[in-house]
Amino acid sequence: MKTFTKLALASALSLGLAAPAFAEGLFAPNLTYRTGPFASTGIPLMDGQKDYMTLLNERDGGIGGVMINFEECETGYSTEKGVECYERTKADAIVTQPWSTGITLQVLPKTNTDMIPILAPGYGFSPMANGKVFQWAFNPPVSYWDGASMIMQYLSGGDMGSLSGKKVVLLHLDHPFGKEPIPVLEAMAEAYGFELKLVPVGLKEMQNQSAQWLQIRRERPDYVVMWGWGAMNASAIAEAVKTKFPMENFVGVWWAGHDADLKQVGADGKGYKSISWSMPQPDSPLMADVKKYVIDAGKSTVEDPNSVFYQRGLVISMFLAEAISVAQAEFGVAEINAEQLRWGLENLNITDERLAELGMTGMVPPFSTSCSNHTGHSGAWMLEWDGEKFVKASDLLMPDAEFIAPLEEANSLEYAEANAPWPMNEACN
Amino acid sequence: MLYRTAGQFKTSYRADQALFPIKQDAFLLGVILICAWVVFPLTASEFTFQTILTPILIYSLAALGLNILTGFAGQLSLGTGAFMGVGAYACYKMITLMPWMNPVIAILLSGVFSAGVGVMFGIPSLRIKGFYLAIATLAAQFFLVWLFEKWAWLYNYNASGAIQVPNLDMFGLYVAGPQASSMTQYYVVLFIVTLLTYLCINLTRGNLGRTWKATRDMDIAAELIGINLMKSKLTAFAVSSYVVGVAGALFVFMWRGAAEPNLFDIPLSFRVLFIAIIGGLGSIMGNYLGAILIVGLPVVLNTVPSALGIHVESALLEHLNIMIVGSLIIFFLIIEPHGLNQLWRLIREKLTIWPFPH
Repeated sequence: MKTFTKLALASALSLGLAAPAFAEGLFAPNLTYRTGPFASTGIPLMDGQKDYMTLLNERDGGIGGVMINFEECETGYSTEKGVECYERTKADAIVTQPWSTGITLQVLPKTNTDMIPILAPGYGFSPMANGKVFQWAFNPPVSYWDGASMIMQYLSGGDMGSLSGKKVVLLHLDHPFGKEPIPVLEAMAEAYGFELKLVPVGLKEMQNQSAQWLQIRRERPDYVVMWGWGAMNASAIAEAVKTKFPMENFVGVWWAGHDADLKQVGADGKGYKSISWSMPQPDSPLMADVKKYVIDAGKSTVEDPNSVFYQRGLVISMFLAEAISVAQAEFGVAEINAEQLRWGLENLNITDERLAELGMTGMVPPFSTSCSNHTGHSGAWMLEWDGEKFVKASDLLMPDAEFIAPLEEANSLEYAEANAPWPMNEACN
Repeated sequence: MLYRTAGQFKTSYRADQALFPIKQDAFLLGVILICAWVVFPLTASEFTFQTILTPILIYSLAALGLNILTGFAGQLSLGTGAFMGVGAYACYKMITLMPWMNPVIAILLSGVFSAGVGVMFGIPSLRIKGFYLAIATLAAQFFLVWLFEKWAWLYNYNASGAIQVPNLDMFGLYVAGPQASSMTQYYVVLFIVTLLTYLCINLTRGNLGRTWKATRDMDIAAELIGINLMKSKLTAFAVSSYVVGVAGALFVFMWRGAAEPNLFDIPLSFRVLFIAIIGGLGSIMGNYLGAILIVGLPVVLNTVPSALGIHVESALLEHLNIMIVGSLIIFFLIIEPHGLNQLWRLIREKLTIWPFPH
């Protein structure tokens, strides 16, 4: 009977305890990964997100007088844990921040029935931009397809025709995240006449890319574009240095611009570029406040507050905080619910004036979202590693909306069709 | 006292060989079945369905499939994850090619494909044994996951390379996809798991099961008493891969809702193998006990601090969780190397003579 009693006890426990702990304020959980193979890149981002909310709680007493309960649920980047976290938090949550393209794909169809907005800034499924189909999903300020478009524009020097006859290698993680830019790059290769070679890196090969770089050497591409994450970036950059690939022709997505990955090669990495929709501003008024209220008060675990990723984390939480305050103003209540937050995320308007008020001038380009545009397509800057830190290497680049919009439309409708019956937001046009 | 068997006389061979010759066992099973079919669904929350009940059942079924091969027929396999993948992809292709198909039928049929693939990779077992065979099945693991990645037809040329479960209905009720309720999915899983467990119990007690056990215990002796080893080993591969394939289809269709190829990679094989080993090789019930320990316990442990009102950082909690579950696995294997099933059997033996130990 003992085992049975244990069994019964275990199930009773799980049934009884399943209700998540409910603390005061607006419950905005974050599905973090401070453990596992991607922890090194996850930690600074998660620190930034948490510290911004801590700052609002400490300095302003929350948003609109309500404290933000910014709780973390650890996933270790595992889809299974991610879904567990989503189920655990969804009862009281006003938002879900899945933090992995895999978890996003899994949670995306469920949000329609659970009515919780997904906030996936700069990641997730690019066609989520189409708010008419993806009512509950938001990926501001730019999608991966925008990123691919901006990288190619930068490489072409503004004239896409000049890419004709060039050879571009896409070094990507062999995972839904790494495969995201492929459709748009393939369409561009066809339209502008450059040759696209795909070089996938399996999850198991992330830290040993000698085969991939051998292939790249043999191909002799004009440019290498990298869609990498976690341990993959550091190894790719190290291999590029080892094989003496010209660093100025090597461009990464915004998740491949982690300071620590470049610091290990130092001056040898000079010229490496990463497109980024955020820019660290160490002297901004916001950073002064973060230092005063959070870091010096011992409420932060951050190691390098001036890194690109930490400050990007601050920007991500700013999106959420802005959406909350927009929704509070619209509905006249402080304790907004998930549906009201959805409205807020749909009506974000981050202008230069607003950024100045927040003390975040230059940290992110201005953008606005709408019912049919859940991304905002803010544009991004090219950052370049100068041997010690990332510096801005271009003016604001804008994605080619005319090229991407039809693809977004087609792919989102295809998704809706595969998942029929799928509710459309008919209010949008 | 509670488990006293005195007075339960058997007057025929049939009664003596019944599935549950002892009344208390049958009663206990009845209680568990009532719990699973009535009590849990009535009381469980969405969270419990999604993170405890359904996954435990699915993992138990996968471990049961592996246990038939490794525990009953003695053929070590490290390819369980890939065979689950075959079941899942077969089900996905059937559903997308023939949308009119009943999802439960599709799930049950998808096992046929994994059984075929399992037999193919089982052919080397006729010549190699033990660890060498484990390496041969490891080849299946690597090859199949590679195939899931590279053969775009399998995932319908989807740009992300992942498969997504569409909304599937049965008699007007959604059973799979985002529109399906967790309780419906739980009942479908429970139905299939109950059915397959019943079949497997009977298979392992019957003629086939005895040939498997003879093959496991000493294959030369088995051959001498007239057992066809090829037939015995290949049927074990077929039945095992069938059950594993069905578990894989349930895994994606009734629980995860989407899957990318690396989901079926070697960590999944190991997880299922650990469940089978900790539960007890060569047992049916052990798979359930193992799954409760490895799949259910971490989830329950995660909820303990918040229920007690203690605030623990999520990352720290995750680390603590790994440590606690790890040490429990070592603890159970030290006190009973033959797994939880053997532990339960010892407890039961003690209980039958309790309170008089002689």
